[in-house]
Amino acid sequence: MTRYLTQRLLLTIPVLFLVSIIVFTLINLIPGDPALLMAGGEAGQDVVEALRKQMGLDRPLVVRYAIWLGRVVRGDLGKSVRDGRPVLDVLRLKLPVTIQLAAISLLVSWCIAIPAGIVAAWKRRSVVDYTATTVALAGVSIPNFWLGIMLLYLFAVNLRWLPPSGYVEPWVNPIRSLERMVLPATVLGTALAALVMRLLRSSMLEVLGTEYVRTAQAKGLADRRVITRHALRNALIPVVTVMGLQLGGLLGGAVITETIFAVPGIGQLAVQSILTRDYPMVQGVVLFSAVAIVFVNLSVDIIYSLLDPRIRLVEARS
Amino acid sequence: MAAQSPALPAAPWSPPRRQASLRYFLHRYARNRMALFGLWVITLVAFAAVFAPRVAPADPTKPDFGRLLAPASREHLLGTYDLGRDLLSRVIYGARTSLLAGVVSVGIAVAVGLPLGLMSGYYRGRLDDFLMRLTDALLSFPFLVLALAIAAVLGAGLWKAMIAIGIVFTPGFIRLSRAQVLSERERAYVEAARARRARRTGGSSGGTSCPTASRRCWCRRRWPWPQRSPRRPR
Amino acid sequence: MRRAFLAVAVLVVLLAGLASAQTPRRGGILRAGLDADPPNMDPHQSIAAVDRQVFQNRYDKLVDVNQNLEIVPMLATSWTISNNGRTYTFRLRPNVVFHDGTPFNAEAVRYNFERMLDRSFASPRRSEILLVEKVTVVDPQTVQIDLEKPFSPFLSVLSDRAGMMVSPTAARRLGRDFAREPVGTGPYRFVEKRPQERIVLERFDRHWDRSAGYVDRILYRPFADEQSRLANLLAGELDIINIPPATEVPNLKKDARVKMLEREGLGWQGVWLMVNGTPFNNRALRQALNASIDRRTLARVVFGEVVTPANGPFPPGLLGHDSGPNNRIPERNLDLARAKLREGGQPNGFSFTLKIVPGRQEQQVGQIIQSMAGEVGIRVNLEIVEFGTMLSQISPPNHRFEAARLGWSGRPDPDGNIYGFFVTGGGLNNSNYSNPRLDSLLDAARILTTADLRRRAYADIMNILNEDLPYMFLWWPKDYKPMSPKLQGFVHVSDGMMRFRNVWLNP
Repeated sequence: MTRYLTQRLLLTIPVLFLVSIIVFTLINLIPGDPALLMAGGEAGQDVVEALRKQMGLDRPLVVRYAIWLGRVVRGDLGKSVRDGRPVLDVLRLKLPVTIQLAAISLLVSWCIAIPAGIVAAWKRRSVVDYTATTVALAGVSIPNFWLGIMLLYLFAVNLRWLPPSGYVEPWVNPIRSLERMVLPATVLGTALAALVMRLLRSSMLEVLGTEYVRTAQAKGLADRRVITRHALRNALIPVVTVMGLQLGGLLGGAVITETIFAVPGIGQLAVQSILTRDYPMVQGVVLFSAVAIVFVNLSVDIIYSLLDPRIRLVEARS
Repeated sequence: MAAQSPALPAAPWSPPRRQASLRYFLHRYARNRMALFGLWVITLVAFAAVFAPRVAPADPTKPDFGRLLAPASREHLLGTYDLGRDLLSRVIYGARTSLLAGVVSVGIAVAVGLPLGLMSGYYRGRLDDFLMRLTDALLSFPFLVLALAIAAVLGAGLWKAMIAIGIVFTPGFIRLSRAQVLSERERAYVEAARARRARRTGGSSGGTSCPTASRRCWCRRRWPWPQRSPRRPR
Repeated sequence: MRRAFLAVAVLVVLLAGLASAQTPRRGGILRAGLDADPPNMDPHQSIAAVDRQVFQNRYDKLVDVNQNLEIVPMLATSWTISNNGRTYTFRLRPNVVFHDGTPFNAEAVRYNFERMLDRSFASPRRSEILLVEKVTVVDPQTVQIDLEKPFSPFLSVLSDRAGMMVSPTAARRLGRDFAREPVGTGPYRFVEKRPQERIVLERFDRHWDRSAGYVDRILYRPFADEQSRLANLLAGELDIINIPPATEVPNLKKDARVKMLEREGLGWQGVWLMVNGTPFNNRALRQALNASIDRRTLARVVFGEVVTPANGPFPPGLLGHDSGPNNRIPERNLDLARAKLREGGQPNGFSFTLKIVPGRQEQQVGQIIQSMAGEVGIRVNLEIVEFGTMLSQISPPNHRFEAARLGWSGRPDPDGNIYGFFVTGGGLNNSNYSNPRLDSLLDAARILTTADLRRRAYADIMNILNEDLPYMFLWWPKDYKPMSPKLQGFVHVSDGMMRFRNVWLNP
């Protein structure tokens, strides 16, 4: 296990390297000159040229990459080209927001999806099943921005039960912090829950049909015990995969929801830096997102082996 | 060549009896009312898309500036859009784009993602490591960077957008089909098959794909389509 | 008799109420919703329009504009223009200090101009004040600025970012990083900025205008989504917002929860036609397209009442608007369009690509142009291009487009709405248009000092532009400021800037 972990963690380095090279290339493929976007059309050509020089954009791509990489190795992610703010400082501000939102959304999703999925499979073709399936279908079909605006008007504008937007650090005021997370987390959570619920239901149905479950039932074990002890474990493998993908997505930023509820997370930062061609900031965001995804996928692979001990964590040998 | 360490050697494979499985599939399908309903909906949408010019009551692009956001009427069955265009006709024509975009982008993702995921899950080892780290890398891109870069290289347009979305979906499919194989390859029937073939062919491993798991995975492909169970639990 | 008494009593009560409403209250936090996150806090580096909203309260300018767009004193208490309009002598307000304690004087003004003109600093302001030849400190309270040649919009330029004075001490120490720790002389000083989250300002107690700055703090929050911005105002989370959703304006005017202020804006919107390549190097084809567009319908359908159909760069309220050719909105004329197509050698029409930026209204505008032009056989391909990409594609020297939908936010002097866009080689001359006669008229309008003469020059300019059509002016946006009824004392100026130095919050 330790060896496996070390190996996986070491493999993170080439992944980050690969990611940084691809992003560097891609973002330079996108037309749009950061100097022009910063100086504006009314500035003369000489101003744009001078800015380009200041940003080091007059040097060839490879040289720029090498300089950037050299700094990153020393722990310096560079500065935003917009106002010279260190990329690391900005990421440090956004990180707690995004992690908190992702965690609460995922929690909301599980609280809805896991019980609903199990019951729908257990009482297949019952009213419960059909209701859950229909609601899940609606959850997948309703666009986030629509649901977001509707909840915003209902709970914040008309009923005034919840604040409409913003972020408060949990260590400043935990209750107000949670209050502001309710609406965005609900919007994200319901969309995620729909998928997880359907996946869990079908996965459960399949497992419930296998021999070992029948054996367990034949042994006379109670339904509840069969489901929680025997069936659920196996049924969770594809579900965990999707949850991992979802968590990775959330950590990369939930742009639409963040925008509607003015949650200052990674998503808004990413979009604004791309639109303004803030190259160092984009690089920083992508690196963070890559680290997050590597760790999420590592956790998912470990959870596989915990759920089904026959799935071994295989190390590569040379 | 560096040795991989699959837990078990891969086995060659003989084709299943196609006809029987197809008949079984259709039989099961016809008995599932939800599935049939879904089929009807899809058929209807596909029909509307193919015969849009004949089915649509009006030209979807023709505006009527005297009639903005009009309610449903005999002339406009679903009312009009914000530019005074017939909403029903726009929905019917829109089916073309939606259907095409959905099929092509998901098609790309499945065509690329599924085989890679199967190989990754079956062979494990180096290949798995490589493919999984590649998906890690792909998953960490903001969609906008990919989309803008692809649009910049290929130019704007529906097809390019579909390719971009397809690429974004691919890593998810790789991981999902891999997870499926991981849980499937330890099942008794796979082991039995492996043991049987292994004896018969003298233990030679080979083949570049893993069709047994592939077939099972494909038939019970789980996401993002609705699915059904082959066996009804007691 | 009794009724008269009653009437007097009612009047007295009303007046008392009015008086109490008019008495400014101190204290409270003013929360303002912006349409985007202000990217840069240095007025000499800033380009985004939204930056200027925050600058209004953090910096003082040499001069300001009032509601009638007249120049009024701010840091300069008086000025004289001599030497045929080439020399401006400013008398500066005494006892003014920057937020860091640095005294504001003629030396500080000189430093600010040096900073903006420094080629290596690459300030976007440089092109605005390029004509400044020399800045002389006459005495600590007097500064003299010499221009290369007369430039009548100069004071107007100084009422915007170029006139905002930054602390020389802080600017020297921080260089470009001044953008993160800005120091001005305004009634509010900078406290903190969290990107995409908030900007906090606090009253500056040593501001020269002792009565300015009633609220204790100003909190700016960016809301990229217009619906969400409005919802936050309605929910009582904000006191005022910038740019409400156009479709909601009629409802908001009736809504008792908000106070809605409306003014004609300063900007113009329309379509660039690239005159240096096919198909629009053919003037008749530009005229054909123009004749096929129904501006009134376009404005009504997409924006309702929040814009005015346009035919020039000078919206109502700006000098030059009343020059005939500017505000004579052409009627749609399909016969003329077809005749022009024949004249241009394309009797069956032609096709071109119109670039638009993403957004619902932009798409609607594109689709309406598409359908209107389609009626005379002009086929319009719409291409949606992200803003940054669009800017680099259409800006000089690239000019890589046929037609592009992009406008201008506007300036309080007409020169700022026209010069750089149509003068040969101008930095904003996207259509690569060049006409020596127009150039000389544009230069003349900059030198002329009386409004009447300038108006006449602009009329001639408009006649040429309406004929040549390097740009199809389509509409002039209005400016709206929805706010909570608690917010008092707000003066709405056409430039759309939220000046908070004299507003207060009623409980």
